[in-house]
Amino acid sequence: MALKRREFLKASAAAAAAASIGVTLMPGMEKTVFADSTTWHKSVCRFCGTGCGVMIGEKNGKVVSVKGDLENTINKGHLCVKGFYLHKVVYAKTRLLHPMIKKNGKWERVSWDEALDYVAKKFNEIRKQYGPDALAFYGSGQAETEETYMANKLFKGCIGTNNMEGNPRLCMASAVGGYLTSLGKDEPAGTYADIEKAELFLLVGSNTAESHPIIFERIMRHKNKNPDVKIVIIDPRKTPTDQVADLHLFPRPGWDLAILHAMARIIIKEGYADEEFIKNHVNFRDNEKALTFEEYKQFLEKYTPEYAAKVSGVSPDEIVKAARMFGQAKTAMSMWTMGLNQRTRGVWANNLVTNLHLLTGKIGVPGSDSFSLTGQPNACGGVREGGGLCHLLPAHRLVKNPKHRAEVAKVWGVPVENIQPKPGKHTIAMFTALNKGEIKGIYIMCTNPAQSLPNASKYWKGLKEQFVVVAESFFPTATTEYADVVLPAAFWAEKEGVYGCTERRSQYMEKVIDPQGEARWDAWILRDLAIRMGFKKEFEKYKTAEDIWNEYISLTKGTDMDLSGATYRRLKKVRGLTWPVPSEDHPGTYKRYTKGDPVFDALPEEKKKGRRMYFYGKPDGKAIVWARPDKGPEEPTDAEYPLALSTGRVLEHWHTRTMTGTVPELNRAVPKAYVEINPEDAKKMGIADKDQVIVETRRGKLKIEARVIDRPKPGTIFIPWHWEEWMANILTIDAFDPGSKEPEYKVCAARLRKA
Amino acid sequence: MSNKQVLLVLFVVLMFGIIWLWAGDQAQSAKHPEVDFSISCVECHTEVTPQAVKDWRGSMHGKMNFGCYMCHGDGQVEFYPKPGSERCIACHSGQEVDFSKTPVKNCFDCHKGHTLKFHTGNE
Repeated sequence: MALKRREFLKASAAAAAAASIGVTLMPGMEKTVFADSTTWHKSVCRFCGTGCGVMIGEKNGKVVSVKGDLENTINKGHLCVKGFYLHKVVYAKTRLLHPMIKKNGKWERVSWDEALDYVAKKFNEIRKQYGPDALAFYGSGQAETEETYMANKLFKGCIGTNNMEGNPRLCMASAVGGYLTSLGKDEPAGTYADIEKAELFLLVGSNTAESHPIIFERIMRHKNKNPDVKIVIIDPRKTPTDQVADLHLFPRPGWDLAILHAMARIIIKEGYADEEFIKNHVNFRDNEKALTFEEYKQFLEKYTPEYAAKVSGVSPDEIVKAARMFGQAKTAMSMWTMGLNQRTRGVWANNLVTNLHLLTGKIGVPGSDSFSLTGQPNACGGVREGGGLCHLLPAHRLVKNPKHRAEVAKVWGVPVENIQPKPGKHTIAMFTALNKGEIKGIYIMCTNPAQSLPNASKYWKGLKEQFVVVAESFFPTATTEYADVVLPAAFWAEKEGVYGCTERRSQYMEKVIDPQGEARWDAWILRDLAIRMGFKKEFEKYKTAEDIWNEYISLTKGTDMDLSGATYRRLKKVRGLTWPVPSEDHPGTYKRYTKGDPVFDALPEEKKKGRRMYFYGKPDGKAIVWARPDKGPEEPTDAEYPLALSTGRVLEHWHTRTMTGTVPELNRAVPKAYVEINPEDAKKMGIADKDQVIVETRRGKLKIEARVIDRPKPGTIFIPWHWEEWMANILTIDAFDPGSKEPEYKVCAARLRKA
Repeated sequence: MSNKQVLLVLFVVLMFGIIWLWAGDQAQSAKHPEVDFSISCVECHTEVTPQAVKDWRGSMHGKMNFGCYMCHGDGQVEFYPKPGSERCIACHSGQEVDFSKTPVKNCFDCHKGHTLKFHTGNE
């Protein structure tokens, strides 16, 4: 084809640009940006828990591009910076391509047969010599539901240990505890559809703009269109989310519970409580006993704005203002994430946010919900719903419940005695047991605990000494450093399966290309390992991903999270379904516990009489307003360690950077870690921007660059936790919530000096 | 003006146009200056191109913190001083335009500068 000079020049330039996204352009290139020869496949973003729909562009057997899925109701075609570059991660130089065994301290490439035979032999030896509880599985909120399901069956149903955990323990367990204790069932009552109907947003412990950018965009667009929409933030740190804030309360890290009680007190005292809703839908409790509404009011008397101000460091006027804004808004949506969950009283913090909704009746109606934001793409679907924690079984079942064990054992085709009634070791207990040698073999799938555990260096001992198998898509990671065997796992776009996001939506992802190198789908790795361990009868029946999904959804039938109607056939066509979805002709459920929720609709009329909501996870259908003490952090600041250290995310990176660290653009955006210091503190300490400083806690110290910036409140410092080179988790504390067992990443005491 | 003069003016305008196009397209393949790449784009450009950063910060992209690299590349592996529309469509898939039917050929013909605000008329 003859091109004129001008066309040639423009086409060359555009082709260079297009090469970056792998699309070949021709003259008239803007029209053919996404050339006709590119085939688009429906999928879901691999990063956070928002669940954005992405379209994967495939050409000649290669993933060449990603674009937002216009038909997806969550992101409506938009993407954040991480999803935008997902296609580049597939071909990262750090992809693990072959199974390897560490022999005499050196990695040696081996065949799949050798690797799996070796793991099966070692696991069986450990099981025989020390019993099933000497083995453990540690999974991920990034694994597909089908993958977690297979691991659950192998470890709990066949090997016979409940030592099965996943990293959602580290991020969402307190939200689970909060929902169970307040509303009776896990996961939110509403969905994202509430965003565009809300008059007020209460963002607590959430840097929504960076951690859930597409949700932030929806909030921002909604506020731009409706300037009367108000946004109240409670967070110790100023973040990009502040661009839309009408009011920001800056508590000392870990001291915000008193603020939430004080808000409840003002709401009741100034007449914003919905007395009718309270009468019909709410019970009151403290940690020991049931309370009356009057007794709850008495409990709140302590929480004057002045008291809360003294505890939290926020002015009383701002607390009053926040309470009035919440009370006066016709609808309100609270959102929170790790700032509340990663606390030694994370469950209580969750309860106190939900209290505000129950007291005002701002729940169960469009635009109102107590809505936890999830950090990982399938923490809800695979681990919370799939039962991938040490006390759970699939579909919100519990190992301690004999009926639940029997139901699951029947479907799994295993003797019910195989499933132990006692919960296994939760994450911190599991890695402690590894340190002690009580657990002698662990299978780690799709996660990087050597970097992501709190007080991380404490747990390297166990990883070093025990038999460690890591199934991963990337190599090396901080965890593969300690592995004995690494198994290459298929990555996003190389496998099919289902992700379940924050809003109870299960979405199907297509397999678009074959896995890189010799990588295999995690579910098949587990199946083949199980067969080699002697569980042929239990595992050989699974031939397709759909086989696994069908078995899983059969276990959800009749439960509060019924997915019976979410078959592959249907999920392949639609942009996900929000459970309960009990039949193939059911559209999915917008609001739980109220009309339109099939579980609510099926209740006897006498139960529903006079009620617009029935919290069916509670014996009398009433939710609980909790009178919890206002405990502070486990390790408050003191003269020796006078600064409160908090850790968190930046927009451009995710978790331990095994994915985002492979994208040059994202590395350029934020090339390294830093510690944010308030200018007041920096001045006192004689520290200038970009100085090298030493941050020290009782657990470790880290040399890092100072960023003097008016983001953290004076007296607090912040480190983004993504980098292995500047590993923030050698500083964080591994104290955990006694209820949820979730560690307090979000606050510990630190000191800082110039290096 | 005689026909000759008109032709001369047209010729000069055409030559300038060609030179401009050439320069513009040369810039597409230009290399980013060798700088301290251990700092981020925004950190450096706040000093060297403050107006561009200010405009960007006020834009929707700035509010979302969608940085320089999304349009311009990382500066080392890839660099596009005058980016085309390719990347826009990945996020704005609802705004795919058939440029053969429009007087413009690029998203940035209308969404100019770093504000990316929609411009009309003779701007």
